[in-house]
Amino acid sequence: MIRLPYKPFVVLTLLLVLWSRGQAPALSEEEVEARVQTISAELRCPTCQALSVKDSEALFSAQMRDKVRSMVREGQSQEEILAYFESRYGEFILRSPKKQGVGLLVWWLPVGGLALGGLLLFFRLAKNQKRSGEAAPSGEETLTPEQIKRIERDLKRYEEGL
Amino acid sequence: MGAIGGLVVLFVVGFKQDPYTVQSPLINQPAPPWEITGLRGEGRMSLEALKGTPVVLNFWGSWCAACMEEAAVLQAAYEEFDQKKKMVRVVGIAMNDTPEKALEFAKRFGKKYPLGLDDKEGDIAISYGVYGAPETFFIDRLGIIRHKVIGAITPESIQKAIQKLAGQPGGDKP
Repeated sequence: MIRLPYKPFVVLTLLLVLWSRGQAPALSEEEVEARVQTISAELRCPTCQALSVKDSEALFSAQMRDKVRSMVREGQSQEEILAYFESRYGEFILRSPKKQGVGLLVWWLPVGGLALGGLLLFFRLAKNQKRSGEAAPSGEETLTPEQIKRIERDLKRYEEGL
Repeated sequence: MGAIGGLVVLFVVGFKQDPYTVQSPLINQPAPPWEITGLRGEGRMSLEALKGTPVVLNFWGSWCAACMEEAAVLQAAYEEFDQKKKMVRVVGIAMNDTPEKALEFAKRFGKKYPLGLDDKEGDIAISYGVYGAPETFFIDRLGIIRHKVIGAITPESIQKAIQKLAGQPGGDKP
């Protein structure tokens, strides 16, 4: 059996690699701030009207941003942070409806409406085209002898009138 | 016709809901833990230490006008249901405040029940999903939030909520 003199180093390196895989990479301050901005843009300011926590100057929003910041520093993901706020305030706190349950309906109803409208329009146009293709009669085929006589009489009267 | 029917259903459901009520997802859920320092030197107070007794937890602030309105109501409830009947514990947590301003307010409006201060990040208020002051939570003896009142509390609403918590006549058992 071959004895490796550097075996302890290999083991140590492997252990370090395994340990580091379990650790969240440390974020720079710029990265933390960028995440805080992104996440707080998804949260509704509870004391304002139509403003996100990111855009609000209210003290409460500033505290919520601080909370988001400390959660980001703890290594929590955007989903985990939004889920925390939702568990405390309800779905109201999220600025975008969730893509599940009734929220799913809000996301897909406009798309479904547009698709349905497009289909209806398509079938309507196709039907009209078919009908006009079937009818396409020449004038003579559709006019009765009485009607032709009447048209000729009217034209004559018109010319005389000129 | 289908669309009109849908609209009618939407209106019927919509009009049945109170537009001024925002349901808290914390109702019937365990109350988030908290620990505060008593503003009058009572030392550390925590929800854990109060377990076994229903708690009326009021979020307030010295800057809040509606908190002036409800101060006497909370004090009266403290005297009757906390000190006299030992049915509940009344605790107030001031938000976005300083100890000096909170104590000055308490003195001016006769708040004698235990008061503490939330931290600068508003951690306790956020953990309770507080929108603003005042908000009052009614926590049963097992530490479950049973009711929440947004805005200034009235003598009727606090009495009813406390009776519910304690399972007294006039209120269902929690």
